[in-house]
Amino acid sequence: MDGGEFAKEEYGQHLVEQVLKGKMTRRQLLIRASVVGLSATATAKLLAACGSSGGGASVASPSASASLPPVVLGGTLKAVIPPPLKALDPVTIYDQGGIVLVYQICEYLIDLTNENALTPKLAVSWTPNAKGDQWTFKLREGVTFNDGSPFEAADVVATFDRILNPKSGSGALAALGGILSPGNTVAVDTHTVQFNLDKPFADFPYLVSASSYNTAILPRNYDGNFLKKPVGTGAWMLKSYVTNQRAVMVKNPHYWGKDAQGRQLPYLDEVIYVFVTDTAAANLQLQSGAVDVQPQTVFQGGQAVLSDPNLRVDVYPSSGIRELAFNVNKTPWQDKNMRQAVAYCLDRPAINKALYGGRSNLGYDTFWEPTVFPGSPTPPVRAQDYAKAKQLLSAAGHPNGVDVTLTVSNYLENPAYAQLIQAMCKPAGINVKINEMSYNAFYAGSNTTTPWLNAPMDIVEWGSRPTPGVYAQAMLLPSSAWSSSHWNNQEFANLFSQYESTTDEATRFNLASKLSAIQQDETPIVVAFFISQLRTQKKNVYNIQGPGSFYFNVNQAYMTK
Amino acid sequence: MVRFIGRRLALMVPTLVLVSILVFGLAEVLPGNLGRSILGPYATQQQVNILNHQLGVDKPLYKRYGIWFEHFVTGHWGTSLELGSPVLPTVMRALGNSLLLAGFALVIIVPTSILVGVFAGLRRDSFFDRLITVSSLSMTVIPEFVSGVILIVVFAVSLHWLPVSAMPPQGAPFIERFYYLILPAIPLMFLELGYIGRMARAGTVQVLSMPYARTAVLKGLPRRRIVFNHVLRNALVPTVTVIGSQVGWLIGGLVVIEYLFVYPGIGNMMVNAAQFHDVPLLEACVLMVAVLYMFSNLVADIVVALLSPRVRMAS
Repeated sequence: MDGGEFAKEEYGQHLVEQVLKGKMTRRQLLIRASVVGLSATATAKLLAACGSSGGGASVASPSASASLPPVVLGGTLKAVIPPPLKALDPVTIYDQGGIVLVYQICEYLIDLTNENALTPKLAVSWTPNAKGDQWTFKLREGVTFNDGSPFEAADVVATFDRILNPKSGSGALAALGGILSPGNTVAVDTHTVQFNLDKPFADFPYLVSASSYNTAILPRNYDGNFLKKPVGTGAWMLKSYVTNQRAVMVKNPHYWGKDAQGRQLPYLDEVIYVFVTDTAAANLQLQSGAVDVQPQTVFQGGQAVLSDPNLRVDVYPSSGIRELAFNVNKTPWQDKNMRQAVAYCLDRPAINKALYGGRSNLGYDTFWEPTVFPGSPTPPVRAQDYAKAKQLLSAAGHPNGVDVTLTVSNYLENPAYAQLIQAMCKPAGINVKINEMSYNAFYAGSNTTTPWLNAPMDIVEWGSRPTPGVYAQAMLLPSSAWSSSHWNNQEFANLFSQYESTTDEATRFNLASKLSAIQQDETPIVVAFFISQLRTQKKNVYNIQGPGSFYFNVNQAYMTK
Repeated sequence: MVRFIGRRLALMVPTLVLVSILVFGLAEVLPGNLGRSILGPYATQQQVNILNHQLGVDKPLYKRYGIWFEHFVTGHWGTSLELGSPVLPTVMRALGNSLLLAGFALVIIVPTSILVGVFAGLRRDSFFDRLITVSSLSMTVIPEFVSGVILIVVFAVSLHWLPVSAMPPQGAPFIERFYYLILPAIPLMFLELGYIGRMARAGTVQVLSMPYARTAVLKGLPRRRIVFNHVLRNALVPTVTVIGSQVGWLIGGLVVIEYLFVYPGIGNMMVNAAQFHDVPLLEACVLMVAVLYMFSNLVADIVVALLSPRVRMAS
C-alpha cells in the first residue's frame, strides 16, 4: 500500500489552474474539491484565487435564491410521500418513501448539497493517500445516537462490515463490491476511520455519502429491527409510525447541529409524513392544502399542481434517467449501426417537452454530460436525422426496415416514453412493437431470466446517481451487475479503470473525453435526457434543502404564518 | 331454519380451505419472489437467494402450505414480511376501517336506493320514473376514479367543504370519522344507486302487476297499506339478495376508492400483499373478506326467508 499523503494544497492549486485555463468552471471546482475533502475555508480561498474566471460558483437552492424572511421557530410541517414499500430498515431500503424517512433519523459520513457536492456530516474531513486506495476519515466528536450512546469509529466499522456481508441483503454491496472488502474498514482511534480499498478509487467519498443510501451510520449493536428501535444521530426522532398511513417525526433535542448563528437545529418541532401511493391523490392533497410540501412532483399528471398560484415549485437538476438499452447479444442489436439509427430517430427536445414540460436536461447517449455532472467534456449533440438513420439501417443490412420489440414496465412515464420512441422510429422504417408489463413482472426472475436484464430492448428507470462513474460501474462494464445492454468493450473498461484510479483533474478530463466518445459512438444505451426533479410547496414554506426527492433535508426549513 | 343456517355455516369450512389453497397457488404464479421484493432491484442474486433460503421460500409449495395452515389454524398468523408487523392486528385494523366505510356507505345507499327504486316503480313510466332510471343508470357507468376525482376537486380543493382524505388526523374523536367518510361514500352511492335502485323498481313493478296487488287496490285498501303490507315485502326479496352480494365488494373491492381517498382499508392491503408475495398477509386478508362475504350472503338469505314465507318453508 502506498503510504504517501495526498497533497491537498497542491491539488487545490491544480484545480485553480484548471479554472484559470478555462478547462473547468467554478462549480466544477467546488464539487471536485469536496470529493477530496478540502475544507470550506480552503475551497473559498481557491475560488477567490480563480477571480472571476469560470462562471458562477454555485447553483443556489431555488428557495434559498430568493431573499428569505426571518426564521420562525417551531411548528409542524406536513409532507406527502409514497409509503415505504416495506418495513423500514436503513440496511436494505431502496424506495423513495423509505429513503426519505431514514434520512431524517440517521446520518451519513458525508451529506449532499443542493448541487450534489459533498459536505461534511458525521465525518468532518476525509483525505486519500497519494495512490487513492486508502482514505482516512476524521469523525465528528461529541455526537450521540438518539438512544444516548456515543458515536465513535467502532460504529462506522460495524456499519460497513454489516452492509458488506451478503447476508444483510444490502443493495450497497453491489456498489461497493470490488472496491471495499469486509474487514478493510479500520478504526484508527475512537474518531478516525481508515478505508483500505481493493483498488484506487477517486470517487470513493460518494460511495460513503448519502447518495449511497444504505450506508447510513447505525450503532454497533444494531439488531435489525429499525421500526422497533429507530436509532440514529439525525435531527429527527420517529414518534409514531402507522403502516401505509403516516410517520410522525419530532425534533431530536440533543441534536449536534447548529446554524450559522449558533441556533439549535432543527427549527421545526414536528414533521408529519403522510403516505399516499397514488400520484393523483398526492397532488390533490397538496392542492387542497391538507399537506404543505411534496418532495417529488411527477410532471405527468402533475400539471395542475405545477401551475397552482398558491404553490412554489423548485426545479432540481438531477441525473435520473430512463435507460433505453439495446441487448447487444440479441438480434438486431449486435450491429452498432442499428443502435445509432434509433438514437438518430429521436427528437430529444420534443421528448423532453412531452414527458417533462421541457424542464429536463437533454442527454446524448453518454453519462459525461456537463449540465448534469460538472467537469464532464461536452458531447456532440445528436439531433433527429432521418436521412442518417436510414443510411445506418441500410449499413446494418435492413434497407427495407426492421421489426423490433421494446419491453417496458407500466411504471411512471415509461409507457409514454415507449410510445414516443415508437412514433419517432417509424418514419425511418424501424417498426417498434411495445411489450408492456407490470412493474413486478418486469423485475421478476433471476439475473438470467428477468426481463429488465434480458429483453432485446427495454426501458429501465434509474434514480439520480452522483457521478458518471457510478452509472458506468453499474451498467456499462463487463463486470456490471445491472447491464441490460450486456455491452462488453474492453477498451472502455480499461480506460474506465484508469479514470477511477486517478485524482489528477487534467488526466481525468482526457480519460472522460475518450470514455464519453466511445460510449456515444457504440451507443449500447440511449440516454435522451436527465430528468429534473420537481419539489412543490406552499408559499409559506422556506429553506428545504437537499438535491432531488430522496434527500429531503428539513433541518433548516421553517414556515411563516 | 336452524338446520338451514347450520348447513350453510358448515359449508363455510371447506370453502375457506379451498380459497386458501387457491390463494397459495395463485401467489406462486405471480411474477417475482419474496426475497427480491424485500431487498429491491439493486440487491445481487446471491443476496436474494440467501434471504429466500432463510425465509424458507425455496421449500416445495405443499410443505409451505402445510406449515402455514398449521400456524394459521392454531392462531399464529405470523408477521407480515412486507410491513414488519404482526398479521392478525394489522389485518383486523384494515378490516375494521373497511367495515366502517362499507357500513357507512350501506347506511346511505340502502334506504336511498330502495326509496328511489320503489318510488319510481310506483310511478311507472312517469316523468319521475324516467328521470330516476336514466340518471341512476348514468351514475352507475361513471367509474369511481372519475367521480371521486371530480368530487375531490369540487368539494375539497375548490370549496374546502370536505376533507380530501378519508382518515381524520391522529387523535380525532371517533365520531369525526364519519365526516371524513362522506366524500368517499358518494362515488359508491353513485355506483350502487343504479344497481340496487333498479332492482327495487323492477320488484315493485312486478309485484304491482300481480293479481293480489290488483285485488288489494280493488278492495279499496289505503295506498299506504298496499305499499307497506303487500308491495314492499315482496318487491324487496331480489333487492336484499343483491345487497348481500354487494357487501363483499364494498369491503374488499374498494381498491380505487382507498387509493384516491388515502384510506387504509383491506382492499389495498390485499393488492400490495399479492404484489409483494407476502403470503401470510395475503391469505389472512382474503380469508377475512371471504368469511364476511359468506356471512353477508347468509344474512341476506335469512332476511329473504323472513320476508318470503315460500322461501322459509322451502328451506
